[in-house]
Amino acid sequence: MSSTFPAPRRRVAVTAIGVVSPLGLGLTETLESLRTGRDGVTPVTRFDVSRNRAKTAGQIHSMWQERHPLHPASLMLSAAVREAAAGDPGFQPESMVIGTTSGGMSLGEAFYRCQIAQTRPRDRARWLANYLPQKPVLDAQTAGGFSVPVQIIANACASGSNAIGHAWTLISTGQKARVLCGGYDAIAEMVFAGFDSLQASTPEKIRPFDKDRTGLVLGEGAGVLSLEEWDAARRRGAPIVAELTGYGISTDNFHLTQPNPSGIGPRQAMERALDSARRRPEDVSYINAHGTATPFNDATEGAAIHQLFGERTPVSSTKSMMGHALGAAGAIEAVFSVLALQHQFLPPNINLTQVDPAWRLDIVANEAREADVRCIVSNSFGFGGTNASIVLERAES
Amino acid sequence: MSISLAGLGWITPLGAGLDDVWARLMRGDVAEAKPLTNPETGRVHQYAPIPPKLVEHLGRQPRLRRASPIAYYSVAAGLAALQHAGFTMTPEIAARTAVLFAVSSGSVLYTRKFFEGVVKSGAQSASPMLFPETVYNAPASHLAAQLGIDGYSYTLVGDNSVGLGALKLGEQLLRAGEVDYCLVVGAEEIDWVLCEGYRDWRFGALLAEGAGAVLLTRGPGLVEVAQIHDGVSFASRAEAVRATARVWQDLQAGGASDCVIGSANRSWTDRVEAAALRPPGNANLPIGEDATRCNRGADAHPGRLANQEIGVPRIGVPPIYQPKLALGEALGASALWQVVVAALALQKNELPARGALALQTACVLSAGVNQQASGLVLRAPLQKAP
Repeated sequence: MSSTFPAPRRRVAVTAIGVVSPLGLGLTETLESLRTGRDGVTPVTRFDVSRNRAKTAGQIHSMWQERHPLHPASLMLSAAVREAAAGDPGFQPESMVIGTTSGGMSLGEAFYRCQIAQTRPRDRARWLANYLPQKPVLDAQTAGGFSVPVQIIANACASGSNAIGHAWTLISTGQKARVLCGGYDAIAEMVFAGFDSLQASTPEKIRPFDKDRTGLVLGEGAGVLSLEEWDAARRRGAPIVAELTGYGISTDNFHLTQPNPSGIGPRQAMERALDSARRRPEDVSYINAHGTATPFNDATEGAAIHQLFGERTPVSSTKSMMGHALGAAGAIEAVFSVLALQHQFLPPNINLTQVDPAWRLDIVANEAREADVRCIVSNSFGFGGTNASIVLERAES
Repeated sequence: MSISLAGLGWITPLGAGLDDVWARLMRGDVAEAKPLTNPETGRVHQYAPIPPKLVEHLGRQPRLRRASPIAYYSVAAGLAALQHAGFTMTPEIAARTAVLFAVSSGSVLYTRKFFEGVVKSGAQSASPMLFPETVYNAPASHLAAQLGIDGYSYTLVGDNSVGLGALKLGEQLLRAGEVDYCLVVGAEEIDWVLCEGYRDWRFGALLAEGAGAVLLTRGPGLVEVAQIHDGVSFASRAEAVRATARVWQDLQAGGASDCVIGSANRSWTDRVEAAALRPPGNANLPIGEDATRCNRGADAHPGRLANQEIGVPRIGVPPIYQPKLALGEALGASALWQVVVAALALQKNELPARGALALQTACVLSAGVNQQASGLVLRAPLQKAP
């Protein structure tokens, strides 16, 4: 992947972050959960799972309010945007880049059930407008008190990282000065059944990188980052919480849902991210892995990490604590990575009993670690062979 | 840095060849509406499908064997644009090319079928073959695999202006120096459940299937991209008029366009577009025709009215052509269809329903149905014959 006209790069500051996930409503609760290795996965209560193999998910129960006019996805993203706005009140975004996979899918499900039942609830027409993925983003703009152009990237489970990566591209090449980016997804029955039908989800605990891993558990939430051109952020005295230094994308054409077993897709994404950050593998303090705990993903990602970083760089999958939030995952994990940089610790990979001996990796097993954290690679991979990696670094002038 | 369209492609209810479909548009042909029945209620909807023979040949490709129709349309239009550009995809070029895919509803056919299995037979009986094809980026993935592209592949979701958003994304990647070529494809397929949804929304447009594609590159090409708007979000129909008017006025600030390729589709957005196109300073200028009344007429005589602009003032606005009145509203595909029409109009110096015109610039305007308005201006190459 290259161009004959590479553009010069500017530095990109992260001036604020916001998050809502099964590990907490906001940064304070989230930080505590990451430090203590809290398990945010609970039995599914949102819909009937009696005919599914899997029965658990990482859910944000308080966001599912029966009579609320907004979809839970809107509430999640709005809460994350409000928290970021509070963290840097002077940040005025020029545009938004947001990742998602499902939009307001549960409304589409309700609409279909009405067709079968031949009922016509009064607010059925409203469902379509709220089903489409741009609606939660526009609701979040209303919550944040601004209205700017929107780009919604739906690259399956890499969407959140792609959105952050594209925002980085816009700022680092001088096309935008300030972009609010991130991702959101709310659990939907269809998607839950979909991963179940593929036998990708597990009825057991989610155990990324474990020898006995049996699959993923779904999650939900939203994460956002306020990105700004570094010098402009410094000039206005913005609170710089981290630096986004690199982004890599690759497309693995092996199969629609299965990665090339060689690990070439994830490896290319990580290599490209490090190249753009002008970093070497040995500069990286920690890898926040995609780590879904499916046999295929972890085998491929584990091999790619081992090929590129050897066995000395600590790795964990925070999905072990909250499940896989799909289009939100990359954004939520970017927020987790910023917290790790700010507070100098490595979030744990819980539920681990024995690391898969297929590769020798330093997994941050079950308990958080204090560490000198300077540079983090965060991975997100998805259906369609989409792979994205971003590089975040400690804020240093 | 100049950016241009190097190749065009489409697959529409009126056919697939650029010149063939253009000739039909110039003749005033309109897409034939076919019935689509909701088996749950027996309600019959109308839609404009793609003739199956146009994509039959793609079924022989292993990667597409189980794919949804939207993937077939995407691949067909994408390959057509590359062919039109005289482009041979080598590994070296693939490494410098992005696939950018625009979609609104995506693979509704497989999504509905999969969820039908979940609801009627239980989650454990739902087909694992269908689920992977339901993700928004499945068509982009199939196209990237077809072309051997292992770098940038983005799928953008939005309303029926999303195709312009994908072109903006392409412009951004070219300006960033990330790639040298962007294959921008917009596509949609239609299922009865989608028709039900839009019917509940009192939408009124004839939903259509298909795809449009352009190859975006730096430097000279068939047609230069003078400006692509970032787009404007809106939260209500009243705001939609202001948003669309802002897009229109922004695009005209650099010079008046010689024609407008509008997005009227016999829905409420017609009135938005008409109001937005009122010349500045003439806020009280009466709109030429009331869109609602015109809609009723169009329903009664679709062929006769297909080439008449809807609800546009006759004074102070350049000639306008609204291709969705002939091709149908194809959501994620339709803005790309508008762009292809604009490029062909500039190349051929003619507009359907208007005949020969001296055209140097064409403005594409799209008032989306769900909170997004956007537009762009294309310019004919300098060496174009008068």
